[in-house]
Amino acid sequence: MSDAVLEPKRTAEAPAQAQRPVPFRGGGFKPVERGGIGLIVFIVLIGLAEMGTRQGWISPLTLPRPSDVFWTLVEFYQTGQLVLNILPSLTRLAVGAAIGAGTGIAIGLMIGLFSYVRAGLVPLVAAIFPIPKIALLPLFVIWFGIDEGSKYALIAFGTFTPTVVATYGAVDNVDRTLIRMGQSFGLSWMSIVRKIVLPGAMPGILSGLRISLAIAIILLVAAEMLGAEYGIGAYILQAGSLYDLDRLFAGVLILSVLGVLMNSAVGWIERRVLAWRV
Amino acid sequence: MTKLTRRTALGLMGSAAAAAALPRPAIAQSRKIVLGALRFTSHSGSFIAYERGYFDEAGLDVELKFFQAAQPMAVAIASGDVDFGITAISGGLISLADKGAVKVIGGALSEEPGIDGQKILASDAAFQAGLTSPAALDGKTFGMTTAGSSFHYMGSKVVAAEGGSMKFKPLQKVGAIIGALKSGQIDAWSIVPHIAKPLAGSGAVHIIGNISDYLPNYQVTTVFTSANNAASENDMTRGFLAGFSKGVADYNATMIARDSGDAGVDEMVDLIHKYVYTDRPREKAAPSIINGTMRLNEGAALNVASVEDQLAWFQSEDLVSKNITLDTLVDSSYADMRS
Amino acid sequence: MHIRLDGVGHQYGAVEVLQDITLEIPSGQITCIVGPSGCGKSTLLRFMGGLEQPTSGSVTEVGAPPDDCLNAFTYIFQDFALLPWRTVAGNISLVLEDHGLGQSAVTKTIADVLARTSLSDFKDALPKQLSGGMKQRVAIARALAVNPAVLLMDEPLSALDAQTRELLMDDLVTLWTRAPFTAVYVTHNLQEAVRLGHQIVVLSRRPGRIHEIVEIDAPLPGRSLSDPVLQKQHDHLWQLMRDEARAADAELVHV
Repeated sequence: MSDAVLEPKRTAEAPAQAQRPVPFRGGGFKPVERGGIGLIVFIVLIGLAEMGTRQGWISPLTLPRPSDVFWTLVEFYQTGQLVLNILPSLTRLAVGAAIGAGTGIAIGLMIGLFSYVRAGLVPLVAAIFPIPKIALLPLFVIWFGIDEGSKYALIAFGTFTPTVVATYGAVDNVDRTLIRMGQSFGLSWMSIVRKIVLPGAMPGILSGLRISLAIAIILLVAAEMLGAEYGIGAYILQAGSLYDLDRLFAGVLILSVLGVLMNSAVGWIERRVLAWRV
Repeated sequence: MTKLTRRTALGLMGSAAAAAALPRPAIAQSRKIVLGALRFTSHSGSFIAYERGYFDEAGLDVELKFFQAAQPMAVAIASGDVDFGITAISGGLISLADKGAVKVIGGALSEEPGIDGQKILASDAAFQAGLTSPAALDGKTFGMTTAGSSFHYMGSKVVAAEGGSMKFKPLQKVGAIIGALKSGQIDAWSIVPHIAKPLAGSGAVHIIGNISDYLPNYQVTTVFTSANNAASENDMTRGFLAGFSKGVADYNATMIARDSGDAGVDEMVDLIHKYVYTDRPREKAAPSIINGTMRLNEGAALNVASVEDQLAWFQSEDLVSKNITLDTLVDSSYADMRS
Repeated sequence: MHIRLDGVGHQYGAVEVLQDITLEIPSGQITCIVGPSGCGKSTLLRFMGGLEQPTSGSVTEVGAPPDDCLNAFTYIFQDFALLPWRTVAGNISLVLEDHGLGQSAVTKTIADVLARTSLSDFKDALPKQLSGGMKQRVAIARALAVNPAVLLMDEPLSALDAQTRELLMDDLVTLWTRAPFTAVYVTHNLQEAVRLGHQIVVLSRRPGRIHEIVEIDAPLPGRSLSDPVLQKQHDHLWQLMRDEARAADAELVHV
C-alpha cells in the first residue's frame, strides 16, 4: 500500500466529504433503575381484578374481589383470629428452622473440615436432598407424634439439607491462602476454624439461609396439613377445602408478607455481619 | 384420575361378555356428558346405569371420570369439566353453590333405620381409657379430612348431642385418619360400615356407636350438577336422573331386597368389581362390596330436612356464608323432596 | 539463628522441580532468591517455613530463636492474606491471640508495629478500604508483631504497581537499618534483588538448581541503580537469567 492511499491529500480541490457524527450503537442490554414501575404494575393488576369482579366479567369463581380480601384480612385481625393463627405458625417456623439450620450448619462445617465426615455424609445428603419432604409427613407423624413434633421435624428436615450443602460449599470456598496464613503463624486448629473458616464461610451460609427460610415457609403449609387446628397453613388449607377464595387469598397474602419480612431480615443480618465484603 | 371411555370399557369386557350384554340402542343424536365418580360402593348406581345402558336409553353418551376425593369433583363441576357428580355435602360444595356454580338436584345415600349405617369408632388406647360410648367423647380428639367435611359435621353433631366438645384434627386423607386412629394419635372417628367393621375386627379400634342414633335419616351423599345444567338443560338433567335412578333401583332390588337371589348378587358384584376394589381379586373384593351395601335413594329422593340441618350447622360454625338459603344450594324441581 | 539447606530436592509426581540445593541463610542478612518462573523458588520458601516437606535432603534451623519470638519462621505473602472481616489492628491481633499474652501486651505490640510501619492512623480501617501498598504494610506489621527469627517473603511486591513497589522497598530498607533482621526474599524482579539482597541466589529453570550465588557488599541504605557497580551486578544477573528465562518461557506447560 502506498502512502497516497493511507493519507488522502488535504487539498482544497479534494471533493467535500460527507460529515456526520459517529452513530451510537451502545444502547440497551443494560438494566436501568426505573423506580415505581413495579408498584404501578401491582396497582393496575389489582385495579383490573377489582373492576372485573365488580362488573361481572370476572366470575367470583375465578378470582375473589381484592377489596373483599382486604376486608377479610381486617376482620381476621379484629376478631383476634390473626394472632391465634399466626403465633403457632411463627413458633413452628422458628423452632423448625432453628433446628434444621443449626444442625445443617454444624454438619456442613464437619463435612467441610473432616475428610472422613465428607466421604461418609455427602452421598447421604445428596440422597436425601431430592426427597419431597412432604411425602415423609405420615412417617414423621408416627415418629414425632401428630402434634407439634412432626411439624417441627418436617420444617427442620426441609431446611437441613439446603443448609448443609450451602455450608460445606461455603467452607470449600474459603480462601485457602488465608488458611495457609493462619497455619504459617502457628494458629491452633480451633482458632483457624473459629477466626478464619467460619467468618469466611459466612456469606455462603447466609445465602443458603435465604433459600432455607423460603423452603421453611413452603413446608409450613404442608406441615399444617396434618392435625393442625390453628396456623396460617391450616387456615389456607381450610379455605381451600371450603372453596373460600377470600380467605384463601388472605392467607396466601400473609405468607407472602412473611416471606418478604424474612428475606429482609436476612438482608439486614447480611448488611451487618458482612459489612467487610467488597 | 382415570378416564374410562365407552370404547375402552367395551374392549375390557371382551367379546363373550359383549355377546351376553343387553342391546345398546344406537342413538344418533346422543349427547356427550361427563359423570364424575369415586371408586366407592356407594357410587354403584352410576356404574350399573352405565354398564346396563340406562344412560344410552335416555339419549346420553356418558363418559365416566374418576376422582380420588369428593372435593376436586365439586371443583371440576364448577369449572365445567364434569357435568354430574355424587358427593357428600361439604362446606366446599355449599360455597360453590353460593358462588352460583353448582346445585344439588337429588339424593344418593342416606342413613335409614334398619340398614347398617355409619359407625362411630374409638382408638384402642382411648377405648381402654374409658371411651366406650359416644357419651365419653367430651374433650377427645376427632379425625376429619378437612374442616367443613362430612366427618367434621358428624363428629360435631354427635358430641353436641352428648353435651360436650371435641378437638378436630384435619388429616386430609382417609388413609391418614385410619393410621392416626390405629396408632392412637386421635381418639375417635366415624366412617361407613364396610370400612368400620374390618378395622374393628383387627382389634386396633372399637365401634362405640352409630351415627344414625344421632342423625336419623342423615343425607350422606347427594347428586349435584352445575347451576347452568340445572337451570337450562332440563331434558339432559332429567334424562341423567332417570338413567341413574334405574341403576339405583337395580342395585337396591338385587343387593338389599335380593329379588334375584344369590345369583343376582354375584352378577352385581361382578359388575361393581370392575370399578371398585379393582386392585384386589374378586373373591377378596366380594365381601367388602357386599358388606358395604347401603340403600341408595330411590328416584334420587332427597331428605331436605337433613340438608337444611347440615346447612345450618356449616353456617353456625362460620364455615360458609350466613346468607345462603336452601334454594341457593338445592334445585327441588327434579327429584322427590322429603322432609 | 539461621537456616541451612542440605541437598534439598523435590518432585511433584513425575515432575522434578528442585535438585540438590545446598544453601546457608546467614543471620541478620537478606537473602534473595531469583529465577525464572516455575523454577521452584516459592516451593523452596515453603520448605524453609515448614509448610511443605522436600522429597530429599534436609532443612535445618541452626541456633535458638530469640526469647520473645512468637513465630520463628514468619511469612509475608504476595496476596497479603489479610482477613477482610477484621480491621488493621484486628488482623495483627489475630496472630497474637493464641499466645496468652494478656490484653495490654497485645495492645502495646499492635501500637508498636503500627508505629514502625506508619499505620497508626489506619488502626480501625478494614482491608477493603486500603490500597495494595497499605495492605502489604499491614502484612509486614503483622509479621513484625510476632518478632520472627526469619522473615520468609514470597514475592511480596509483585502484586503492586511500580511506584508503590519503590516506596515499600524504601520502607523495608528503613526497617532493616533500624533493626537488622534475617530474611529470605523470593522474587523474579532483579531490581528488587539488587536493592535488598546481601546475597542473591540465582536458580536455573526447572528442575531448579543453584546457578550462582552473588554477594553484594554495598550497604542497603543508599543503594541505587544509578550506582555503576550495582548496575553492573544487575546486568550480570540478567545475563545469567536471560537464557534460562527464555528457555523456561518456551517450555510447554505440564498441567
